[in-house]
Order: sequence, then structure tokens, then C-alpha cells
Amino acid sequence: MADHLLVPLHVQYIQNLGKSQDDLVYHLTAHLRMNAIYWGLTALCVMGHKDALDRQEMIDYVMSCWDDEAGAFGAHPDHDAHILSTLSAIQILIMQDALDRVDIDRVVKFILSLQQPSGVFAGDQFGEVDTRFLFCSVNALSLLGRISELDVDKTVGYIIQCQNFDGGFGSSIGAESHAAQVFVCVGALAILDRLDIVDVPTLSWWLAERQLPNGGLNGRPEKLEDVCYSFWVLSALSILNKIHWIDADKLTSFILSAQDPENGGIADRPGDMPDVFHTQFGVAGLSILGYPGLADLDPVYCMPADVIERMGLRKGWKNLERRAAKST
Amino acid sequence: MHGVRRDKQSKEAIEARKQKEQSKIREYLALTDHVLTRKKNKDYTREALETTTQLLQLNPEFYTIWNYRRLILLNGIFPKSSPTEINDQLSDDLSMTTVALRAHPKVYWIWNHRRWCLENVPTGPGSEGDPDYLGWRQDYWKKEMFVVEKMLDVDARNFLAWSYRRYVLASMPVPRNPKTELAYTKRKIEANFSNFSAWHQRSKILASLWAKGELDEYQSKESEFELIKNAMFTVPEDQSAWIYHRWLVGAGRDKGILEREIDVIKMLLDEQPDSKWCMESMVHYNLLLIKNHSSNVDVPKLTQECRSFLKELRIVDTARTRRYDEIEEELGA
Repeated sequence: MADHLLVPLHVQYIQNLGKSQDDLVYHLTAHLRMNAIYWGLTALCVMGHKDALDRQEMIDYVMSCWDDEAGAFGAHPDHDAHILSTLSAIQILIMQDALDRVDIDRVVKFILSLQQPSGVFAGDQFGEVDTRFLFCSVNALSLLGRISELDVDKTVGYIIQCQNFDGGFGSSIGAESHAAQVFVCVGALAILDRLDIVDVPTLSWWLAERQLPNGGLNGRPEKLEDVCYSFWVLSALSILNKIHWIDADKLTSFILSAQDPENGGIADRPGDMPDVFHTQFGVAGLSILGYPGLADLDPVYCMPADVIERMGLRKGWKNLERRAAKST
Repeated sequence: MHGVRRDKQSKEAIEARKQKEQSKIREYLALTDHVLTRKKNKDYTREALETTTQLLQLNPEFYTIWNYRRLILLNGIFPKSSPTEINDQLSDDLSMTTVALRAHPKVYWIWNHRRWCLENVPTGPGSEGDPDYLGWRQDYWKKEMFVVEKMLDVDARNFLAWSYRRYVLASMPVPRNPKTELAYTKRKIEANFSNFSAWHQRSKILASLWAKGELDEYQSKESEFELIKNAMFTVPEDQSAWIYHRWLVGAGRDKGILEREIDVIKMLLDEQPDSKWCMESMVHYNLLLIKNHSSNVDVPKLTQECRSFLKELRIVDTARTRRYDEIEEELGA
């Protein structure tokens, strides 16, 4: 079991993802391609290897996913526009300093059209609603510098209705609190400067209780640990300035133990197959925990902190201080 | 990817698998191209619909194809169909998603298509004014409860299924008596006290019944305290029960209830002196007593008690030591 982050292996793992065309799973997951590129690129940025993937090729790919009928991005060429892939596309273009390629007015129009009378957002024109889509929309509008066009009260009004007695938030009104939904709601509130509605002691208590004896975090009471919750729980704790309410060392060891020491990548838990989603959220979690040698990650936007800082969007979160590398 | 074990395959085995997959990949990509080309050409024929069935059976996560399928139905099939034919088609689509959900219970797109189908069931078979004017719809919604319960039998914590259940309950043309839902959550809880999803659902149903005055809040809370006591004593290490208990006690304005519940926890603590949740709850409820009833309780004694519990908690629950430190700081000197 590795006791440190296997950066070169993970970089290689991410590079190889684009070369797996001889694998059926690669094609069956085409609907996640745009997200996968965002996850891969963010992990590379945090590990200090942004250039491991070709910039121009990436920008060209993103632009080839433009759905001109809808005025937003799909996950893959000829796939329909959706808020999930649209946010990822914007994030990638910002990290690659290529936002000028986008017809921002049209994207803003697409995003605003997704808001429902209740205040929640749909993912696309077919109307599935979820606080995830609300966050993606708020996040994207903020990154595009157009948050002023959003009806903030209406949006926050919906989030308030998703708040539960345990301090957490669900995917829709009445739904059980879930760490990923807590992240999206708290993240949206942070962007909208409306964290005043959060019951900080109760929610921080609930979040801290996600840590299990093996150090890993789960997403709901009495569920199994999973590396991706390292990000969902930690980002919310960082925004609430309560990361020290969990055991950072144990969580760090847990994330490291989920690495594939042979082929790189991080899995949901030790011994499982890695994937780029868990690789990104594992690396993101380690960055928030102050793991040595990593770049700072902005827990609100889940992008490199310096990028968000430059855009003037930094909020009052607090990650753990970056530790110095142990001398060997 | 969740819960797929990493198996140690030799390079040869991986190569062999990839070789075998090549023809599958070719077929899959050819079908994808074919369907997407039809989509671009706005082909809304029955043949196009069948190609989407084929592709979605191979890959039920391909959201663009579900979208295309709905466009075909709305623009090509339904306008030329009688209400009975529309109803039959939707029935086929629902069966298709039932099969898909069995294999992929956590794929949002499948649940979403199901929802869309139900929302498009026509009125009938009777005409307006007939008793069976909403007959089809009623049948479907009844069946939906059955489907969602089957899903929850397989995985009692599937949050997509629980969300869908709430959606069905809210959408049924003939609303179900909410007390039926109380019985359902109780059944789920008694089958497994750790099922926090069921506790959560129960809290929502109760709160709504209290708000509407359909259930006496005080009396029903008393019976909830009995239920939860059973759970706390059976599995004291399970946080589900303690979180629910905290909800029942709430802000702690009722001194009698607070003190009675503290006594219950003390009883359990006698049996389980190391119980983290007993001690953690004792601190929380003591603090509520101090906060709300300071003139009628022995504040120094309660504060002292909190301090000794916090000291113990730092030993039995090392991960959250800093939280206990902060609570102690707030106790003041």
C-alpha cells in the first residue's frame, strides 16, 4: 500500500484515458466525456502537471461538443446540451484560458432558461430537476461573470426548502440529506453570499459524523465510505471553516490506500478499480487537507485556487495549511 | 465506477478481452452513428424509435438517446395515434425502463424517462364525465408504488428510489392516506434500524401531518419516543436513531421531555459506559437545559457533567476531538 501520492503514475493514468479507444467502456461512457476531461484536467492542475494533456486538442474537443440548437455544450460531439457538460466545458476553457471561444450570451440564455418557477434548475429542456443542476447553473453564471442576471431570492428560496433538520440538504424538497447535495447547496450559497441560512453547528456536526473508523467518509448515516465524499464533505467543511472537526491524517491515509499502485488512478475504496472521477476527488480532497506539494484547490468552484483568485471570485473558505514535504 | 474490485489480470488476459471486444465496439459505434444521424435528420418514424430501443438496451445511460426517443414519440408517434395506442406505447416504455432499472438502479436518466412517461399518460379509457376518465392514470400510479417498493426491497437506501417514491406520492391522482406512509416507514425501520432514509421519510410525513392538524403532535411524539428508545437500546452505536432522537427533542423547550429523555440515556449509559452516542447526546441535551431553562436547573452541575463527558468523548471518539474542544470552550470558564 502506497504511503504517498503516486503523482507520476496518476499523471500517466490520466494521459492514458484518452487512448483507450480499444476498450468498450470508453465508448459506453461517451456521455461523461466532457466531465471526465474536467476531472482529469483539474487533477493534473492540482498535481502541477497541467501540460500533460495537449491544450489545443482539448479546446478543439470542447468546441466540437457545442450544440448549436440549444446554445450550450453536450458531453460529446452530437450529444445534446446539458448543464452538467456545459459547466465542465466552461471550467475547462477557463483553466485553459480560452473562454473567448464561447458565445457567452447564448450560454447565459440557455442556463437562465433552465430555472423553474420554484427556483430550482432543470438539467436540460426535458426538465429533470435537482439541486445539483441549481449549483451547476449558479457556478457557471458566476464563472461567466453574469451572476447579476440571476434571481437570487428565488434560487435561495428553493435551497432553503431543501434544508433538513440534520442541517443538511437533499436533491429536492423533502429529500434526505446527502453529502454531495450538501456540497452543491452550500457551494451555491457561498457563491451567492447567502451562507447566513446555514445552521452551521448542526450541519458541521452532521458532516463530521461522516468520518468512519477507517478514516474514510461516507455520504449519509450508516453507509459505506467512498473516496469521492472526501471532496463533497471536505469542501462543505472548508466553506464552513470546520475541517479540523475530522481527523485529517486518517482521511489522508484512507485516500492514499485507494490508489492503484500499479497502473495509477484512485478508486472509491481500497482494492477497487480506479476511475478519473475518484482520482480527481481523491486528489482534490488531499489538496484541501494540505497534502505536501499539491496546488491549492478552491473548494467552492472545485478549480485551482489561483484561477478563481485571479477572476476575483474567491470566497471565505479555509483549507488546511499546506504541509512541507517530509525530507527523505 | 463504484465497488468494482480491481482484479489482477495478466497483460495477455487484458489483450484477449480487448480483442474480443473489438467486434462489439464496432457494432456499438455503428449503431450509435446510425441513430445520431437519424436524429440529426429529425427522423421521427417508428423505425427510428426501434433503433433507440436497441441502443438504449446496450447503454441506458445515453441521455441524448432518451431525449431523441421522447422527441420521436411527441413529434412522430403520438400525433398519429389514438389515446389507446399512446397508452400502449407508454406502457411499453415503462416496461423497458423497469428492465433497465433492475440492472442500473442508480441511473438518473432512466428514472427521468419513467417520470416523463407517467406525465404523458392520456386521459381515458372513458370520456370526460365517465367514472374511468382517469382510469389509465390511476392504474399506472398504483403500479408505480409497487415498482418503487420492489426497488426499495432490493436496496432500502437507494436515494433515487426514495425521491421517486415522494414524487409518486405527491403525484397520484387519488392521494394515498399519509398514515399508510407512516406504516410503511415503520415497517422499513423495524426491518433495519440503520435505515436512516426511512427515519428521514418518517420525519417529513409526521411534520406535515402535525402542520395540517391531522395528528396530535404531542401524542404522536410520545409514541415516536417509544419507537426510538427501542432502536437506541438495540443498536446504541447506530447514529440513525440518535439523529432522529435529536429531531424529536428539537429546540428543547419542553423541560419535562428533556429531563425524561436524559434519564433514558443515562439508563443506557449505565449499560454501555463507553457509548459515544450516549455521551454526545448527553452533552447536547444538557446544553439545551442550560440554554432554555437556566433558572430552573443546576447549571454548575450540568456544566461539570458536560465537561466530564467531553473528556471521555475525546478518548472514545478521537477523530472529532477538536469539535469537543470547541464545545468545551463555549461552556466558558
